[in-house]
Amino acid sequence: MSTEAQTQTTEKEWEPKILAFCCNWCSYAGADLAGTSRIQYPPNARIIRVNCTGRIDIEFILAALDLGADGVLVSGCHPGDCHYTSGNLKMRARWALFEKAIEQAGIDPRRIRLQWASASEAQIFADGVRTLVEQVKEAGPIRRSWE
Amino acid sequence: MTEQVSIALGQGSSCWGCFQSLIDIHLKLADVLPLLDIKYWQAVVDYKLSDLESYPDKSIAVGVYEGMARTEEDVHLLKTLRAKCKILIAFGTCSCFGGIPGMANFYDIEDCYDVKFRNNKTFSDGEVPSENVPPIESIVRPNRHYVDFDVYLPGCPPTSSLILTALTSLIEGKEIELPPHTVCHYCSREKKETPVPEILRPFKGNADPDRCLLEQGYICLGSATWGLCEGQCVNKGVTCRGCFGPPPPITQDHGAASISMLGSYAPLLPDELKEQVPDPIGYFWRFDYPSSHLGNMRIKREDAKNAK
Repeated sequence: MSTEAQTQTTEKEWEPKILAFCCNWCSYAGADLAGTSRIQYPPNARIIRVNCTGRIDIEFILAALDLGADGVLVSGCHPGDCHYTSGNLKMRARWALFEKAIEQAGIDPRRIRLQWASASEAQIFADGVRTLVEQVKEAGPIRRSWE
Repeated sequence: MTEQVSIALGQGSSCWGCFQSLIDIHLKLADVLPLLDIKYWQAVVDYKLSDLESYPDKSIAVGVYEGMARTEEDVHLLKTLRAKCKILIAFGTCSCFGGIPGMANFYDIEDCYDVKFRNNKTFSDGEVPSENVPPIESIVRPNRHYVDFDVYLPGCPPTSSLILTALTSLIEGKEIELPPHTVCHYCSREKKETPVPEILRPFKGNADPDRCLLEQGYICLGSATWGLCEGQCVNKGVTCRGCFGPPPPITQDHGAASISMLGSYAPLLPDELKEQVPDPIGYFWRFDYPSSHLGNMRIKREDAKNAK
């Protein structure tokens, strides 16, 4: 295959790579339910299960973007519903500062999403993934945003 | 008398504070100096860059590089030091992580020129100097992008006792052993496990002298910062700004860790936090933006621009 043809195919077939952090108690179960309920949503998200969103260091998200993830989703229990009482509140506070910092650094805020989805909210989880994938598709591949 | 250790000390773009701190070891200088055979130290001994270039490769035992590489001359000096020295020390936070001058990466170089030269408030009809000065690199890259270091000694500046420990170990040919604790380990303030009710700017209110500053609402990065300073600031009543960078492994993203730390201590509502912390990037990445993930993405953007 010639280089030109290769570029064309990659551009045509580019699908965003989304890294999703889901908490064990709500969103991971919600994602599981989305699967067993056969809810259709884009297959771009690679899910990493964490015990609680409170365990997610902002460094994980930044490292993902730095290493080439096109978008990052963090999904946890609704505020007040955390299995560990307050882990998601900690994530929410981190997120506020993180969001502001990446805007200051010139990174498109459409690439990140924080959402709350309980174990029964499979549809909300699926919709969240879809929204993020659409946003990231608008923003384009992260490599191209450096150009 | 033991044999002298040959040493070359180079300075990139920086404030000279780290070398000042080296000289601040005062009377101990009398013990240390006779053991050092200074091969290059432009600010102190009359050597020129050409002298450093003329030494055979790997002929100097220890090289010390202070500051970051803002100009092409700095990059050249850094690479020359690496070639001539067996052990190369990144001396100070600028040299380890990018430091204060690394904050220039928040902006484009043209914006920096505007502020510094073209629209400088104390000067009219300013222009960017091009004669008799080395060209400026378009972006601050962490020194470790250019060369490999053997030792990192962070600090803004590294404390005199830290420098003395490092120099003594080098002279004796021993490994430098540094404690891995964070600043909190050395802080004598009392800590009660209470969440922070609101974030306060440093000029607001009067801080209780005996209680943890972070718990009172003043952003203190002590718990995310390497405590080689032995808690100087926090014990005197000033919050830690994180000048020693992350605790080992020092390749961690210090700013991201600080945000995560603050989120854990202050689980406030997002809108309140956004209002109370007006400049997160400048606060949390003050000393290590170029070597952080965000800074790395910034460098990639610059590379892509230059490749065009």
